[in-house]
Amino acid sequence: MSEECLSSARGTFEAVVSFNRRIGPGFCRLGLEFSGEGAKAFAHFEPGQFAQLDISNTALPSPEAVPDHLRDAAGRNVLLRRPFSFAQMTAEGRKTTGELLYGVVGPATVRMTTLSAGDKLSIIGPLGRGFRIPEGKKTLLLVGGGMGTPPLQHLAQALTSQGSGIEIIAFAGARTAEALPYEGRLDDISQQLGFSLAEFAKCGVESLVATDDGTAGHRGLVTDHLLQWLEQSKLTPDEMMMCACGPEAMLARVSRIAAERNIDCQLSMERRMACGIGLCQSCAVECRVPGSSETIYKMCCEHGPVFDAKEVVF
Amino acid sequence: MGDNIDISVDFAGLKLVNPVFTVSGTCGYADELSDFMDVNCLGGFITKSITLAPRKGNATPRIVETDSGMLNAIGLANVGLEKFIEEKLPVLENFSPAVFVNVAGQTIEEYVAVTERLSSERAIAGFELNISCPNVKKGGISFGRDPEQVAGITSAVKKAAGEKVLMVKLSPAVTDISVIAAAAVEAGADALSLVNTFTAMVIDIETRKPVLANRTGGLSGPAIKPIAVYLVNKVYNEVAKKRDIPLLGGGGIRTALDAIEFIIAGASGVGIGTTNFIEPDCAAKIIDGIRDYCVRNDITNIKELTGSLLE
Repeated sequence: MSEECLSSARGTFEAVVSFNRRIGPGFCRLGLEFSGEGAKAFAHFEPGQFAQLDISNTALPSPEAVPDHLRDAAGRNVLLRRPFSFAQMTAEGRKTTGELLYGVVGPATVRMTTLSAGDKLSIIGPLGRGFRIPEGKKTLLLVGGGMGTPPLQHLAQALTSQGSGIEIIAFAGARTAEALPYEGRLDDISQQLGFSLAEFAKCGVESLVATDDGTAGHRGLVTDHLLQWLEQSKLTPDEMMMCACGPEAMLARVSRIAAERNIDCQLSMERRMACGIGLCQSCAVECRVPGSSETIYKMCCEHGPVFDAKEVVF
Repeated sequence: MGDNIDISVDFAGLKLVNPVFTVSGTCGYADELSDFMDVNCLGGFITKSITLAPRKGNATPRIVETDSGMLNAIGLANVGLEKFIEEKLPVLENFSPAVFVNVAGQTIEEYVAVTERLSSERAIAGFELNISCPNVKKGGISFGRDPEQVAGITSAVKKAAGEKVLMVKLSPAVTDISVIAAAAVEAGADALSLVNTFTAMVIDIETRKPVLANRTGGLSGPAIKPIAVYLVNKVYNEVAKKRDIPLLGGGGIRTALDAIEFIIAGASGVGIGTTNFIEPDCAAKIIDGIRDYCVRNDITNIKELTGSLLE
């Protein structure tokens, strides 16, 4: 077995928290540092792959720090690991550092708010299959809805740091300005239609924002914004590619838009999963069988989480 | 330390290096755990349920977490007998743990066909008869609730199993588990495994709908452990001990301490399930922990511990 092969194997590793920063109401960005074998394994972590974090030993915040809407749910025991994709992964020397984003939505993520620099977490990864960008694409359109932005940020970071030369445009949508999980100062820039989100701007990627209520960027669905852009674009379908992550309804719309225009498209799917490593068979995604009306279930953890949009049945 | 300690067990004529099994539906078909641990350290290994034809399984959501547990309703999704033989069996041939194939079906004929086809395979030590799956409409638990049906299917599959060991997996969702256990043993079961999951439900109070697409699922994990320990002890006292039938006990085992409880209650082997999802190398740690317990308690042979509960 080659060195390459050995170092990219999945496994259970220890990650050390480097920071845990609140970036908006209900959103945090968590920095993790890997050393030793974990650094080698996570150096090969591809955009769109995921990892399983063990939060079961992490303490609850003090009662007054628990958001009101989670007061009842927060006390539940956390048994299973939680899957996360990463917004960034950087290998430097013997260390690999990663950043992930989480919304405070339940008993596990409310516990994660108490993590601080130096804390240790057990993490299983890298898991699943990430985005694969074929040769010859001129423009990559990233479409992120709600919390579905980390793997797109990671993809933008990876492609620009590789000097791929591909033009990248990020479409980011949310219900309202406050629900956009970005560190970019929305107040300063929300007046402009095509403002830049810091996470994408730092890799030179233009970002276009849409909110359902118009409190930031374009008013309406992110997919409507995408459609408008496509209508004005002079690119041919085979020069373009779309990668999307977000709520299932948004993914279904992106999939339809791609199919109607014959644009290559990959979707990062989300399913409830227990193990993330192919044991429990919970995270089934219904997929088409080419040349047949039959469908089959493919496991999100092993075949995905990134699927070709043509495969997925919505 | 511990060199003079024997943690091997005799399990229905099989010599196992230790009592620890990974159980059906939590450890794949063969080598899926091998990225995380040396699967050859196990005493026994039980495959995912195999049915005659491939099964797609249920719609999603198929799982939901509960307080200290989880519900699953996978619906016996599996690759089917032929693909299992083609792709998975060759991997199992190099396994040192005793391999049990978990057999499921909708009719007795289907159980018999799967068992017969595999009964001459060298890689397989035995079969685990799944008559306790709560998540399928036909078969599964419907065979496991009535003692006459249990006897019928057990004796039919026993014939099909030939020389191989037949273990029957019991559901806890019955009025008296000992009646079912006795029926299985009288009909030829060489071993019993218990418990399968408990039928359960989680409701989303915002939508007022069940969370699982299947409505109900099987509860597993630490939440069920004390009930499982009780049921193992009951079946040991009322059925297994006097007939010298080994029990594979499990339900919510997370650590060696949990495993030891089951052994004291009457189990010869212990099955690790849900914890494989969380700590995929937990079985190896539990094996070490069992050895440590023996050292601390001057137990030279783990067999002394089975059924050693003091009243």
